[in-house]
Amino acid sequence: MFGPAGAPYFAILLNRPRPSVPGHARWRRSLVWGALLTLLAVAQGLLLMLTVSYESSRAQDQAEAVALEVASEAKRQVTRSIQDLQPLTWPAIGDIEWDVRADQLLQARRELLRLERRGASGNLLALSEGRYGPAPFTRLRRADVEPEVETACSAARRAATPAFTRSYYVPFEGGAGVEVMDLCVPLQIEGRAAGFLVATWSLPQLLESALAALPSSRHELSFIESDGSRLARAGALRGFGVYVAERIVDLPGRSLMLRADSAAGRPSLIPNLAVALVLGLSLALTALVLLLARDVRRRAQAETALAEALAFRKAMEDSLSTGLRARDLAGRITYVNPAFCAMVGFAAEDLLGTFVPPYWPQERVQEYSRRQASRLSLQPVLPESAPHEAQAAPEVVAEPIQQPVRAGREGFETEFMRRNGERFPVMIYEAPLVDGTGRHTGWMSAVLDVTEQRRVEDLARQQQERLQVSARLATVGEMASLLSHELNQPLAAIASYASACLNLVDQPDAGTPELLRDALQRVAGQAERAGRVIRSVHDFVRRRDQHQEPVSCGQLLEAVLPLVRLQARKSGTRIELMLSEPTPSVRCDRTMVEQVLMNLARNAIQSMESATPPPSRQLRIAVSQPHPRWVEFSLTDAGSGIGPDVAERLFTPFFSTRAEGMGLGLSLCRTVVEQHGGELDFESPAPGGLERQGCPGTRFRFTLPAA
Amino acid sequence: MTPLDPSLGLPVVYIVDDEDVVRDALAWLLRSRRLLSEAFDSAEAFESAALQRASEHAGGWPSAPACVLLDVRMPGLSGLALFERMVEHGWVPCVPVIFLTGHADVPTAVAAVKRGAFDFVEKPFSNNALVDRVEQALALSAQVLGQRRQRRQWDRRLADLTEREREVMLLVIEGRPNKLIADELHISVRTVEVHRARIFEKMGVKSAVELANSLRDAGREPA
Repeated sequence: MFGPAGAPYFAILLNRPRPSVPGHARWRRSLVWGALLTLLAVAQGLLLMLTVSYESSRAQDQAEAVALEVASEAKRQVTRSIQDLQPLTWPAIGDIEWDVRADQLLQARRELLRLERRGASGNLLALSEGRYGPAPFTRLRRADVEPEVETACSAARRAATPAFTRSYYVPFEGGAGVEVMDLCVPLQIEGRAAGFLVATWSLPQLLESALAALPSSRHELSFIESDGSRLARAGALRGFGVYVAERIVDLPGRSLMLRADSAAGRPSLIPNLAVALVLGLSLALTALVLLLARDVRRRAQAETALAEALAFRKAMEDSLSTGLRARDLAGRITYVNPAFCAMVGFAAEDLLGTFVPPYWPQERVQEYSRRQASRLSLQPVLPESAPHEAQAAPEVVAEPIQQPVRAGREGFETEFMRRNGERFPVMIYEAPLVDGTGRHTGWMSAVLDVTEQRRVEDLARQQQERLQVSARLATVGEMASLLSHELNQPLAAIASYASACLNLVDQPDAGTPELLRDALQRVAGQAERAGRVIRSVHDFVRRRDQHQEPVSCGQLLEAVLPLVRLQARKSGTRIELMLSEPTPSVRCDRTMVEQVLMNLARNAIQSMESATPPPSRQLRIAVSQPHPRWVEFSLTDAGSGIGPDVAERLFTPFFSTRAEGMGLGLSLCRTVVEQHGGELDFESPAPGGLERQGCPGTRFRFTLPAA
Repeated sequence: MTPLDPSLGLPVVYIVDDEDVVRDALAWLLRSRRLLSEAFDSAEAFESAALQRASEHAGGWPSAPACVLLDVRMPGLSGLALFERMVEHGWVPCVPVIFLTGHADVPTAVAAVKRGAFDFVEKPFSNNALVDRVEQALALSAQVLGQRRQRRQWDRRLADLTEREREVMLLVIEGRPNKLIADELHISVRTVEVHRARIFEKMGVKSAVELANSLRDAGREPA
């Protein structure tokens, strides 16, 4: 059903505004996309920043917590150790027991490296050293640090509480060493210093044991000096020095700075970036999916609209009684609608793709091809293009179609042939076919079958003629009746008088001659009256002769040709005119001669309607002047001719071969021609070679005086 | 042609036609056959003249046998319309009408004949044949006129009878003998005989049969 022309046709039909993508729209769309991407980037950056910052703060908090925990643990252990040390200060404990107890204590608390029992003056009474580590004072002598111990001990004695010394470094054999601190625990007896207990603490061990409370810490812990130098460290990992927390550990008489250094470095960007990318991509994907969904929905809507439009179009083209035909620029038929197929009687498949459509009458194919070529070569006046283009198009030769595009609106008339060979007139309105991109791809024609219209016109004309004839007849009849009445009366009177006279003669008496004379006078009077009536009629008829005037034969033909053509078109008759040069003029009663021409032409056309095949239907009207005084008109047809039996009675009034014929036409024609002093005759078969098989044709010829 | 009863008076042919030529010619023709004619140029003129004569003459119109030659087509009152009015006036059986028609008026005239016109003659007419028809019409007119006069005479005679004589006459006509009539009317036979003689005398008859026939012929049944 939909030919190749379907696609451009849709474009026309739907007439939806094409996305013509002007600059600002493109810019606007890229702006939208840019804004979307920027938003996405900003959100991703922010997310990244927040993630990193959260990670940092968490690491810092962790470090702080570890530092706090370790510091308090260290403090607690120191406090506990100090409590454990207290019994050893008692003077009541004997030396051996002290040794045992010190040994026990040193075993239990590894951070304690050495215990000394000193007297009130600081003299060493007993000494015990841990057995797990190397002896502390081998490379460094004890005496070297004695001032520190004494300072602490004096401070302890004064405050009557244990006090730590400053820390100091104890090198070991083999290069290693350990930072230690000494604790001096004063022994008070009745308010006097009775002696001291000095314990040496290994700071690394203290740190280790404190760290033992936090089994899985990912921090490096160290005691540091105020200047930042490290005294002791613990922990399996090394700190990065990024997340550092410091804590002061208050020990009796001395405080230490504890530093927790997280093993986690700065939060790295790359893994976070990857996450962000994935996130961003999924966001973009979501956006795309949404866009796609919207697009799909719109597409579905468009498809529904298209389907509706298609159904609408289908319904429209099926309901159309107007034939539609589309042709491409080469003249090939690309589309026909059902109404057109029904009109010409061919199936759409027979028509599509043909250059010379089968509905062109065979004898006119050349003419139509020429016409089509000239029409197709024209540029259509598209809304955008300048109008002068079309005006510059070449003039068309064959038919009066100079501007098909312009003429498209008013249309032109031509003749098509149905499948059964019947010719019929059509009215064609053409419009350029423009595809979606505004390119001119062909022509769309609306084709109207005007047969019915012509038929009605013909009918109206025939009725008009018949009416005129009957009006004329009525006039004739009225005149005849008037005339007969006028004549009847005197004749009847004469008859009466004559009868009366006879009666008188049959029975004569004295008065008879007088009566007879009177009666005969009356007869004469009535006879004269009848004569007057006859004379007046004659005068009336003779008066028409005064209307003769010189008329050009061209004018005569011009007056009748439109009517003749109208009739000829109905039967598809072609009319050939042969007018000799210079055009002769005749002296005649114009109206009467026009009637003669009309009559003869109509007879000729009608004689071809039944027997003659349409291609042979031709009427030749010729005017010539064979003699200086006479002009000859001849009408030659290719009709069925006139048989001898008909020829005999042809000019008899009221003789007709047609059922509806009046039988007055030819007799009137002859009367008119003879009134002008001319002659009317005919020949059948017609000389001059118009005859076809079975159609001998007839030539009617009449002469009129030349002017 | 049977001669007309001279006691009825001279017959008259009335010609009603708007054409004076026709009137004159017809009058001439009738005159050549010894017939009196009177011409009128319109239906109205004829009707008013007839009405006037009917009012002047005691025995009504026409007083003598008459017929009308009537042209169908006339200006003013047409022949057909005049015929209708004559029917209304009750003149038609007594005054027969012969229509003169043109060719086109034949159906009208045929219809008129069906309604009681005597005949129609198509123009141009064969003249003496027309006069023959005129004479037949006059004969018919005379016959109708005679019957009418006789009827009037009988009416007058019946009016002369006394009430008792009328009663006796009805029984006489039925053919009853005097004895039965006397019984019926409770009078003597003698009285019946006297009445019967009086009746016969007054009615101008000689027998009961003649009386009955005469009354039937005259179309007068004594009520």
